[in-house]
Amino acid sequence: MNPVRDLTRLPAAAIEFTNIILTTPDAHIASSPRDVVWTHRKASLYRYRSSNRRYAVPVLLVFALINRPHIFDLRPGNSFVEHLLEEGFDVFLLDWGVPGDEDFDMGLDSYVCDELPWGIRETLRAAGQEEVSLVGWCIGGTLAAMHAALEPEGPVRNLVLLTTPIDTTGSLYAKWVGRESFDVDRVADTMPSIPGLGVDIVNKLMKPVTNYWTTYRRLWDQVRAGTAKREPYQAMAKWVADNPPFPSRAYREWITWMYKENRLVSGKLRLRGRRVDLRRIDHNLMVVTAGADHIAPPQGTAPVLDLASSADVTHIDRPGGHIGLMAGSKARQEIWPEIVDWLEERSSA
Amino acid sequence: MAEDNPTPTPAEQAQKLYEDAEAQTAKAMEDLVHQDSFGELLAKVAGNVVAVMKIGGDVADLVVGNLRVAGRRDVLSLHRQLARTEDKLEMVLQEIERLQEELREARETAGRNGGGGAGASTSRGGGSRSKTEQ
Repeated sequence: MNPVRDLTRLPAAAIEFTNIILTTPDAHIASSPRDVVWTHRKASLYRYRSSNRRYAVPVLLVFALINRPHIFDLRPGNSFVEHLLEEGFDVFLLDWGVPGDEDFDMGLDSYVCDELPWGIRETLRAAGQEEVSLVGWCIGGTLAAMHAALEPEGPVRNLVLLTTPIDTTGSLYAKWVGRESFDVDRVADTMPSIPGLGVDIVNKLMKPVTNYWTTYRRLWDQVRAGTAKREPYQAMAKWVADNPPFPSRAYREWITWMYKENRLVSGKLRLRGRRVDLRRIDHNLMVVTAGADHIAPPQGTAPVLDLASSADVTHIDRPGGHIGLMAGSKARQEIWPEIVDWLEERSSA
Repeated sequence: MAEDNPTPTPAEQAQKLYEDAEAQTAKAMEDLVHQDSFGELLAKVAGNVVAVMKIGGDVADLVVGNLRVAGRRDVLSLHRQLARTEDKLEMVLQEIERLQEELREARETAGRNGGGGAGASTSRGGGSRSKTEQ
């Protein structure tokens, strides 16, 4: 290390660093070719193009409400969708879209009792099949679990829950928004949709130094050392910064029922008068938990294993974070093959 | 052996010290945000932000309304009507699809029973409702 040489490289590094940050919004993500199968309001059902469909049962991917589902198809070479297609699956994605203020009346029941079953219905119609594998991640997993609990006789054959919050006891979120002084009704009454930026700030505050400083400092170090990987950084940074609004009714219900009253795990959650009893889940079930998940910690994601009455249950617990586990650089070698193997065994006609 | 474990340069030592300090700060901040008092603070800040937004929104609505210009509320109202219309349309489409399937099954049954009319023309692919992207 020559300090003088380092100093002379500093301007070039500063320009490179700034360029990476400024051009992040232009990064190409979610670029696998796909067709729109169905739309309703802001929700869209996509089918990914493939000439290699070997398994009868289609796979339907469902993501959370607070980020875009592009993380399933982040970038070529690091895309779960691409991996599933290569392995011969017929892959669909239910994208909740970007709700506007006019969607203030969308509640959890709208997602669980309307959009999700309608998306499944259209998936089956498009694939010409009678059963589907439902893969939910984060809140998407919770919605999928609720649907499976309400419709145990429905067309879902395989249920995969990735880092899915079920029991919020003791979580940091519960400490913040579950307290009485956080008036969720006032928030939801004032705003027809909760701005994504607000949700993002709260998420990032869980690890403030890591999210607001270390990420950029590490990038700066990598740029100076000439080891910065522009595409992976930009793809992930673009996805992280894209936070759709949360419809106020769904937000009110999510915070109240999941964090203030913790209804799901205690079997007290009702949607349109029907009790969501996780014990009614009897599908082939795979639960993936991440040891270092600070958003949905394992003690909050694993309880579904005790509740579900499925005879076929697989639990994968790996070190990793809420997103990193499935979208990190090691996912392709470590977690995706396990999920694919599990699905393969359960996806024949 | 000395080559395997070279003495760190002053710059490397400084970097190591900095990274240690950053890790300790990160841990301290995470401990801080886990405290009840931080949760209380966050709840109150959220309440204040919402209150300010409400006042700002009300003032803006008042100004726009008095100018006799279509404002956010008017646009929102139209959007809501559109959303409700789309909900109804979706229900109608689903009912049509259900009836199409019933009709197809009835025709197939009639065809099997020798009643002719086996050429059901309904499509299951939802083709008319799909389009291509990218």
